[in-house]
Amino acid sequence: MDDKGFLYNEKHLEFKNLVIKNARIICPGPIPEIQADIEIENGIIKSMVSDLPIGDIAQYSPIHGNEKIKTNNRRVLIDAKGMVVCPSFMDMHVHLREPGNEDEEDIESGITAALHGGITSICCMPNTKPPVDNQYLVKYILQASVKKGFKVYPVAAMTKKLEGAELTEFGLLKECGAAAFSDDGFCVQDAKLMYEIMRYAKQFDVLLILHEEDYNFSKSGIMHEGYFSAKLGLEGISSLSETVMVARDIMLAKKTKARIHFTHVSSMDCLELIRMAKEDGVSVTCDVTPHHLCFDDECLEHYGTNFKVNPPLRSKEDREALAEALNSGVIDAIASDHAPHIEYEKNTTLKEAAFGVTGMETLFAATYSELVINRKFSFQKYLSFLAQAPYKILGLKSPEIKPGNTAEFVILDLKKENLISRDFFFSKSLNSPFIGQKLTGEVMCTINNGKIGYLKI
Amino acid sequence: MIQKAFILNDADIERILKRISHEILERNRGSKNLCFIGIQKRGVPLAQRIAKNIRALEGIEADIGKLDITFYRDDYAKRVKPKVGVTDISFGIDERDIILVDDVLFTGRTIRAALDALIDFGRPKSIQLVVLIDRGHRELPIRADYVGKNIPTALSESIEVCLSETDGQDSVSILESGKGRGQQLL
Amino acid sequence: MLSVKNVIDIADLSVDDINLILENADTFNEVLERDLKKVPALRGKTILNLFFESSTRTRISFELAAKRLNADLINFTASSSSMKKGESIIDTIKTIQSMIVDLLIVRHSDSGVMDFISRNTGLPIINAGDGKHQHPTQALLDLYTIKKAFGDFKGLKVSIVGDIINSRVARSDMLLFKKMGMDVTLVSSSMLLPENLDYFGVNVRNNIDDIIETADVIYMLRMQLERQERKYYPSINEYNRFLSLDFKRLQSMKEGAIVMHPGPVNRGTEISEAVMNSEDTMKQKIKINEQVRNGVAARMALIYLILTTG
Repeated sequence: MDDKGFLYNEKHLEFKNLVIKNARIICPGPIPEIQADIEIENGIIKSMVSDLPIGDIAQYSPIHGNEKIKTNNRRVLIDAKGMVVCPSFMDMHVHLREPGNEDEEDIESGITAALHGGITSICCMPNTKPPVDNQYLVKYILQASVKKGFKVYPVAAMTKKLEGAELTEFGLLKECGAAAFSDDGFCVQDAKLMYEIMRYAKQFDVLLILHEEDYNFSKSGIMHEGYFSAKLGLEGISSLSETVMVARDIMLAKKTKARIHFTHVSSMDCLELIRMAKEDGVSVTCDVTPHHLCFDDECLEHYGTNFKVNPPLRSKEDREALAEALNSGVIDAIASDHAPHIEYEKNTTLKEAAFGVTGMETLFAATYSELVINRKFSFQKYLSFLAQAPYKILGLKSPEIKPGNTAEFVILDLKKENLISRDFFFSKSLNSPFIGQKLTGEVMCTINNGKIGYLKI
Repeated sequence: MIQKAFILNDADIERILKRISHEILERNRGSKNLCFIGIQKRGVPLAQRIAKNIRALEGIEADIGKLDITFYRDDYAKRVKPKVGVTDISFGIDERDIILVDDVLFTGRTIRAALDALIDFGRPKSIQLVVLIDRGHRELPIRADYVGKNIPTALSESIEVCLSETDGQDSVSILESGKGRGQQLL
Repeated sequence: MLSVKNVIDIADLSVDDINLILENADTFNEVLERDLKKVPALRGKTILNLFFESSTRTRISFELAAKRLNADLINFTASSSSMKKGESIIDTIKTIQSMIVDLLIVRHSDSGVMDFISRNTGLPIINAGDGKHQHPTQALLDLYTIKKAFGDFKGLKVSIVGDIINSRVARSDMLLFKKMGMDVTLVSSSMLLPENLDYFGVNVRNNIDDIIETADVIYMLRMQLERQERKYYPSINEYNRFLSLDFKRLQSMKEGAIVMHPGPVNRGTEISEAVMNSEDTMKQKIKINEQVRNGVAARMALIYLILTTG
């Protein structure tokens, strides 16, 4: 992996002290930015002061010929001049594919991809083979990720085998570490069952992450039902597929007082329902994916299978409404719905192709380009969708860059433009709709758990 | 495109067609079994004129047909295609004496295609070929039974035949450079 | 010459292309009247009929068209379901590519497969029907049939009646008819109409009686019972009341107006038995058999133009 300029295995770069020179530190929300040098010792931020004395510069030797990074085995210096340092991101919607489809992704490659994307915490969805509907698999995922020094929060299934028929062991699963519950990829069609799920979730005060889809509307659908599905003659998936379920579950959540989170919201009408529910005091949050923000159904005009996702890319108006809803606070967070698929599942016709795209590695560049560059969101507000809201929704403490804390942040180049190619990715799968797109912004370094998780060389 | 030499005018062409009409009648001992088929597109008016001459001479209304040979060519993939013309042979050709008419005889490939096409319509008793101009350079063993005028040419030259029905006037000329209209159509 | 190499979507053809195809169809129509209904225009060319979905009429029509042009034609029939089981579409395509053919005629239940095959083989393709998307050669033969009946297209009132949502024929027809200047009305019921008609720019009515006296062309669609996963339409009786062509309606059609249908007709559903058995002047209105015949000429024209273009 060295030829790609990647340093994830800490054996490559063992150090006691890490110094980030000339850091311009920006945090989410209305906090003034700070200009400082950050000194890290044994993974903990030791000090943040201007003009930190770094000792005899001659002792530092450049590694891999890069001028900006110097080391003398035990001390590493990274010059962040011209770049921005922010708290690292959380992606609350990821499919790691382990166990069952390790040919597409596994926990290790997923973590690698996350670090490449500036992400240091992920929620992984339970639709593996077999699904994460039991304590054994929750523990397995936790152990595997702890071994890698990375925070994976397993989401457990709401129903056994994700079949939408019988509840899983919410109590036991929560005790062994399930961070939330979801049948993602599927949707419980039975309203009474959903009602019981919510009552039980309320009993244990756990979060439900809901993929909303009425199968009677979506069955055999391939893309958004609209102008382009009419033109291309492809089976449509009506926005109503999502909207009617969002409406149902808001009513159920209102009654049960359960905490619910709608993931990958896609259509205009359900945003209005969520806005009203929030005003009404229902405990509801939601996220949107980068691809729903960056693309619409017109992208399918040339039958590109990397634009086939579920829920489908909606119309231009829906896409506008999603950006507006982020701006107005109706949508709380951005999550990638990282769904790796092996080549042959995508190198086929649109109808045969699998739903889903990879997203963790392009999460930052794609949304930064779309929201901050194109739509002029303030950078601090934008940061909150990636580095604050997801933690808050999961009831976790978001990382702060301050002395005494474990170092957990990213160094971003906000000016760098990249043409995304297949070589860009560390994930095992290459089904990204951003291949061939020019994106602004690049993750230069990810500090995870006090260590260098990713470093661009 | 330079006009090199003017060969025939309208009176010349009329004289030639009259002579050929007589030769046809002489060779076939009358016109009872004759029918005339012109190859698209300048063979068609020539066939009509000959048939008219014969009507004047013998008082018999002969059958006249049109033949487009585009689909029978052996070189369709190599050339810019002219518009496909109409084929109209509304009479049976079995056991008939066919007078096949074209304007210029050059490589012989057009006539080869026309013979193939005619055979697809039936089994004529005989097929005789009339051409206004024979410019030589045959690539196939084909010869005309009735020739208006032999004009030896270089390959770089081309023959331009104009007829009043298709071009507004009657004339035959030699053009320099092998890119004349006549060349394209052959 | 045609401006396109593939005919996948009827919208890709320019008006000039369409007129050229119709002119050539006339020429080939003459060939079909000969005793020897064959010309050697495509001698040495190989055409592959690649049918992933069963079809008799369209396959035979293409087969006849290819053979009358003296091309070699091979049939490759694979059901979409067997494809799903093992052989992936990309492997099928690689196999086809190795056979070295000049033209593919493809039918598949999946729109987009044409584009996929074209990208992966570089071979010219004629779409012989892709799912609910399009059936461009049917539209061309329908247009040719209308041309033979009326001579010109401008201002003709065409009504397409029945199961629009499941009909690729309707999609291709409305796009082509609009392009040629006709006034297109769809006559159907809510559950049989696609939701997004703004792409097509057509009028919509719900009762065949609204158009029966004014339409020049009444295009009856086959009620695609086999494509309906769930039956939302209430009954045949209701269909007959609002959307079928019965003898009384046939009689009320204006002078010179014609009835078309892509076949095969569900007798008693979209067209009544009495209409199908009608005679003399009423029979002359019904162009269903003529459409089949024109299909061979139109397909000959298209195949010929594609294989001799470029």
